Amino acid sequence: MITLDEVSKDYPLGRGNIVTAVREVNLDITPGEFLIIVGRSGSGKTTLLNLSAGLTRPTSGNVMLDGTNLWDLSDRQQSTMRSQKIGFIFQFPSLLPTLTVFENVVLPTVFGTRQSSTQVSERARQLLQNVGLGEKLAVFPRQLSAGQQQRVVIARALMNQPEVLLADEPTSNLDEKTELEIMDLFRDLHLSMGITILMVTHTRQLVSYGTRAIEMSAGRIVNGKK
Amino acid sequence: MNIFQLALKNISGNSFRSGVVSLCALLVAAFALSTTLLMRGAENSLRLAIGRLGADIIVVPSGSEAKMESALLMGVPARFWMPQDNVNKISGLSGVEAVSPQLYLATLTGASCCSVSDMFMIAFDPASDFTIQPWLNQAVGNDLRLGEVVGGSYIFATEGDQNIRVYGYLVTLRANLEPTGTGLDQSMFFTFNTAYDIASKSAIQAEEPLVIPPDSISAILVKVTPGTDLYAVSTQILQALPDATPILSSNMFQSYRQQMTGLLKTILVIIGITWGLSVLLIGLVFSMAANERRKELGVLRALGATRRFVFQSLLTEASLLAFLGGATGIALAVLLVYLFRKLLIVSLGFPFLLPSLPALFFQIAVGLFLALFSVNLAALFPAIKISRQDPAVAMRE
Repeated sequence: MITLDEVSKDYPLGRGNIVTAVREVNLDITPGEFLIIVGRSGSGKTTLLNLSAGLTRPTSGNVMLDGTNLWDLSDRQQSTMRSQKIGFIFQFPSLLPTLTVFENVVLPTVFGTRQSSTQVSERARQLLQNVGLGEKLAVFPRQLSAGQQQRVVIARALMNQPEVLLADEPTSNLDEKTELEIMDLFRDLHLSMGITILMVTHTRQLVSYGTRAIEMSAGRIVNGKK
Repeated sequence: MNIFQLALKNISGNSFRSGVVSLCALLVAAFALSTTLLMRGAENSLRLAIGRLGADIIVVPSGSEAKMESALLMGVPARFWMPQDNVNKISGLSGVEAVSPQLYLATLTGASCCSVSDMFMIAFDPASDFTIQPWLNQAVGNDLRLGEVVGGSYIFATEGDQNIRVYGYLVTLRANLEPTGTGLDQSMFFTFNTAYDIASKSAIQAEEPLVIPPDSISAILVKVTPGTDLYAVSTQILQALPDATPILSSNMFQSYRQQMTGLLKTILVIIGITWGLSVLLIGLVFSMAANERRKELGVLRALGATRRFVFQSLLTEASLLAFLGGATGIALAVLLVYLFRKLLIVSLGFPFLLPSLPALFFQIAVGLFLALFSVNLAALFPAIKISRQDPAVAMRE
């Protein structure tokens, strides 16, 4: 599904200096798997996730999604692919503060959807029901707890029925109880919908939720099956 | 939900930022429109006043030019005289098609024998007149009789039966001229016969008599034959009448025009500075906003928004704020100019005439365009910068 071929990513630090966040990584993510990438802060996990979704251009190597090199596509084609095939869950609060919970969930459909407006509305309500926020449609993100906000983000990520969910440290800002609730939600989604999940975390205890795990250090995959 | 609704949500959710941008747009639009309204209103007024006089050249006694301009523009009464024989001297010059003398008179100050204090009055000779008479024939259908007057647009009768008291003499208001925004609107026109009748009876009817020196006139209106060089005729008049000054109608109100040009330059500089500062401030606000919203815009890209969508959403927001501020500024400018136009005329010492509706709509459209252009120009650089940014970089701390 997603293939990274000898992918490296450098970031300029100014004065001609660069930092290499990801070094010559080869990785195959197959449909239906729940891959967890673990590693310490600065190991290159988030950059690898961003590279997988075409959110940043690799300095070298190729990123393929369903056999298509992401960087052979135009901005519009890339955006359509992201909108239709990938659902994102971020580490930071990523809900738009000026939109209600319902509006945040339907946001991905603004950029493209195969659903009618009625279907969009019904699906958003159903997803919010599924994550336990069916009564919070009209409230604003600031009125929700961090755990509730992350549930809304998960509902939003699923809105366009993506093939793959990319989650960047989705539980890092949550307390232990909420963290487990969110992880249970991910496991349920994976088992019930068969959706492919790629999640990065620095918490080793969460590795058990995945079907496969790899470890990153200094921009390389140092442990686990590639 | 679409790009327009997203922009609206964002505007309503960031009231301070939206307020600053709208206020800048309001200032730009209001300042530009009010200045344009005043300047064009003054120019329009001058053009109409010159047209109303209908002469190619106006001859007045030397040294009376400023008095005459003040009388015609601001309705400040003026009295000056020159020999009536000058009319014959000018009519005999080559290139002169018609000449018509006028008497410039004024009512008394605060006297009960005059309905209006210090009103500028123009008496014309119906036999030779080519300015008032043609309009009268068209508008009223016949000539003015003894004791009948035509008023400027602000002249109205207060004592019933269309009567106005002038030096104790009751004149009948036959009609009103269209407004010009100048002193002519507060002036009254009647024939030489009426003027002499008022003068002769004023000795017993008025607190002070109206004095018209014998064989005297105030000004001579000259119409030249088509194709004649106005400067050549003017030179001939100067040679024939050394104590008089011919003023070409195109050169009328030169001192006012110079003052207006000076004021216009000052205002243009102030507008330029205001515009530049507003664009800078809006640009700064948008840069800060774009920077503050980097993560949010990065999230939008991750969710499937194209660079174009991000760029358009920022400019849509800018356009909405510009429209909101610009429209408010325009409404305020129109309202203030309309309400305080008389105060502005007095304080600036300029004539002023409200523009016609099509002209007003055109100026409003220009003001709105300026507000939209300014805000979009200011938002353009931040919008381009943020839309081209790598989503991953945008979302990074």
